Amino acid sequence: MIGSKTKELLKKIVGRERLLDQPAELLSYSYDAYHEEAMPDLVLFPETCEEVSGIMKICSADKIPVTARGAGTSVCGASIPAKHGIVLCFSKMNKIVEINTKDRYVIVEPGVINIDIQKALEPFGFFYPPDPGSMNVSTIGGNVAQNAGGPRCLKYGVTVDYILGMQVVLASGKIVNFGSTNVKDVTGYRLSSLFCGSEGTLGLVTRIILRVVPVPETIKTILVTFDDLDNTAKSVSDIIGAGILPVAMELLDRATINAIEDSARLGLPREAEGSLVIEIDGVKEACEKEIKKIYKKLEANNAVSIQEAKTPKEREKLWTARRSAYGVFAKLAPDLLSEDVTVPVSKVPAMIRKTVEITKKYGLKVGILAHAGDGNMHPMIPADRNNIEQWENVEKALVEIVQAAIDLNGTLSGEHGIGLAKTRFLPLVMSKDDIEFMSVIKKAVDPDGILNPGKFV
Amino acid sequence: MKSSTLQNCSKCGLCLSVCPTYKVALLEHASPRARLQLIKYYENSELISSSGLKEIISKCLMCGACAAICPSGINHYSKFMEMRTKMAEDHGEKIAIKSLVYLLSSEFRIRFAAGFAKLGQRITPQIIFEKYDLGNIPLKRFPKLNKKPFRQAVAETSRSEAGEPEKGNRGNVLYFTGCATNYLFDKTGFATVNILKSMGYKVIIPEKQTCCGIPMLFHGAKDKAKKNILTNIKCLNPDSFNQDTVKAIIVDCPTCGSALKNEYPALQDDFSPETAEAASKISSKVIDIMSFILQESDSTNLAQSLENLKSDNLKHDSRVNQTNPENIEPQKIKVTYHLPCHLKNSLQSPGNSETILKNMPRLDYIRAVDADECCGGGGTFFYEYPEISKKMVKVKIINAKKTGARIWLTDCPVCRINLSGNLKESDKLTVKHPVEMIQL
Repeated sequence: MIGSKTKELLKKIVGRERLLDQPAELLSYSYDAYHEEAMPDLVLFPETCEEVSGIMKICSADKIPVTARGAGTSVCGASIPAKHGIVLCFSKMNKIVEINTKDRYVIVEPGVINIDIQKALEPFGFFYPPDPGSMNVSTIGGNVAQNAGGPRCLKYGVTVDYILGMQVVLASGKIVNFGSTNVKDVTGYRLSSLFCGSEGTLGLVTRIILRVVPVPETIKTILVTFDDLDNTAKSVSDIIGAGILPVAMELLDRATINAIEDSARLGLPREAEGSLVIEIDGVKEACEKEIKKIYKKLEANNAVSIQEAKTPKEREKLWTARRSAYGVFAKLAPDLLSEDVTVPVSKVPAMIRKTVEITKKYGLKVGILAHAGDGNMHPMIPADRNNIEQWENVEKALVEIVQAAIDLNGTLSGEHGIGLAKTRFLPLVMSKDDIEFMSVIKKAVDPDGILNPGKFV
Repeated sequence: MKSSTLQNCSKCGLCLSVCPTYKVALLEHASPRARLQLIKYYENSELISSSGLKEIISKCLMCGACAAICPSGINHYSKFMEMRTKMAEDHGEKIAIKSLVYLLSSEFRIRFAAGFAKLGQRITPQIIFEKYDLGNIPLKRFPKLNKKPFRQAVAETSRSEAGEPEKGNRGNVLYFTGCATNYLFDKTGFATVNILKSMGYKVIIPEKQTCCGIPMLFHGAKDKAKKNILTNIKCLNPDSFNQDTVKAIIVDCPTCGSALKNEYPALQDDFSPETAEAASKISSKVIDIMSFILQESDSTNLAQSLENLKSDNLKHDSRVNQTNPENIEPQKIKVTYHLPCHLKNSLQSPGNSETILKNMPRLDYIRAVDADECCGGGGTFFYEYPEISKKMVKVKIINAKKTGARIWLTDCPVCRINLSGNLKESDKLTVKHPVEMIQL
């Protein structure tokens, strides 16, 4: 609990307006998109780096746990205040400080929503590539903390690949700056890469310098279907093996296609065992050349149908098919588990087979959805949490799916993060020494362990 | 209501991206996700009822955007409505809201109050008029009451030919006028009737109709709402007009429309089987006037179809003509549009009014960048939470002015009161229902 004296000090920093302490308000900050919950004692909304620093000085003196939060869309529970204390919500620290497309960067505060960066860049003909499914609502601070990905990260890379620099408030309240507005900069450790993906356990990011890129001249999008799932997955590795790097390669299996058709009727072939949405972009001539190569690979793998979007509207329709998958599965049962294990591209067919086998064994439904180009699997399992027996089966299946991914040289998470969801699996992919090394770093930066305690480190 | 209990909120947070109150407040407890979670905690007895909880539940525009985007298909609307009833029972409502609910639950009381208010508008000292605000709107910017309730006026003026069609006879349509047209915006009503007549329809305005009940449902007075709903179901039941079939039930207000279309059938468990059947028949025939015009027009030559509606009518009725001085100008009239939330999310006919405006030869339609964003009106929201509402409407006005339009069109009477109430004389923008432009 936080003493009344400490509370007064904190109130002095943010003011009454930006402090929450009523039960109904606090409950609203006890959850994110993960299924566990924990109550904070206080929620604060800082608006400047200095305020964050002031708050951290008080918290480190009193050893009060601090959990950072943006829009609360983490699917691994990264923003749940597991050890209570303070939730520091950055939603109101949301200014776009500078847009400089000549020098290819933007400077933003952590509470800016991903989509608002895109909108601000649009008039300049630029964009910021990482596009997590939550991009219409999630904040850039959260994206940085989780090192968020998205469909187009196959070609463009994930959040960490776009961080040029950042300003961070440490547990002690000290303010430090890494990197610069230079696209090339090897001065000192590249610490922004350490803080990006640290899930709020090392420091509080209060300002970010992001690299931005020009919008490509041409975009081509196709929807391909196969009568064999192996061929579907093999096409993916064949295309990448041929030296072509599409923007996105999204895989949907038969169960997913049929579930979409049941509810949306987009005219997808129900008998198709596998389907791919492939998108490429770049200079017009290069795209035309590439798409021909892609067609060849697809035909070699016995593609049944290839549908190319001729207009932006048609492109939208193809993407609608892919994007509606989550919603369609969410409606099949009261709850939906969306996994995130990742395997090398060549292992995608094996991973799909294994996933179907495991879920079948436990009598569960499954839809396979994957950012197949980078082996990032999102099998979706609809189930009912109130059905105890069924939920136990879901838990067992989850453990086996994770183990199967690791057996295929895969990893725990491609883009959702570890948080509360996967801490118990860490020893499967990291040795004791590996984990201990993370603890050494954590202790050096946050000796009292007040930053997002109860999580993976 | 059944679907809402079947699905669990996965807490994905997508609803935050479309929720007007979240976007302004940037607070989780101003979001649909939090409202659902808090309702769950309350139902599981993990959170006790409090005035703070009531405020969180009520600080919502009931715009339906969350339900429209929800991947799990949760029916936020009925969840929120149920909770509002519980909260109103536990903590009461503000006197003003209680009075409104009391008033709207009887047609006699509405009529009486309207008469009294009109007297009030005449005798209120100018100084009070200039100085005071109701919610976020200055008193002097509230619309003037109709000289006579529209339904009474239309019955008197056209007693001779009732709502007889001008040419041909394409059948009967029922017109549910809603309170706003009846007491505040009679021009909308006259324009609707005239257009339907010139389309060849016989317009029947059931005499017994009364407030749709949404204001009571939103403020937790389900019992009072039910009385109105049963009255309306009885007088709108298509089967009771057995001499001729009823082609459609026309609304000019999207909120009344969504009540008839969605909320009445959703309450079927409370009804007798016959009433439930009538409710679903009504629901299937409800359509907003602009969508009806579009549906009945020649899609291959929309501009000409719309033009035909005009010329025919002008021969018969000069009322609409006189009230629109813009008509004298030979050049095109610049107009812009605001899409009401209930048209977008509940009636699910967004874009129909815009399509018509775009195709009218005499109009120069310029879209505002935020044409489909909520204005913050939300029934009585602008009155209860002016601080949030004001922020939203300010942005809307800035963007509408940027279009250079002189007329700002919107289908919903509350949006209309809110937008027009927050404009200044110097803004040179007039707010109207799009149906009023067709016979210009």
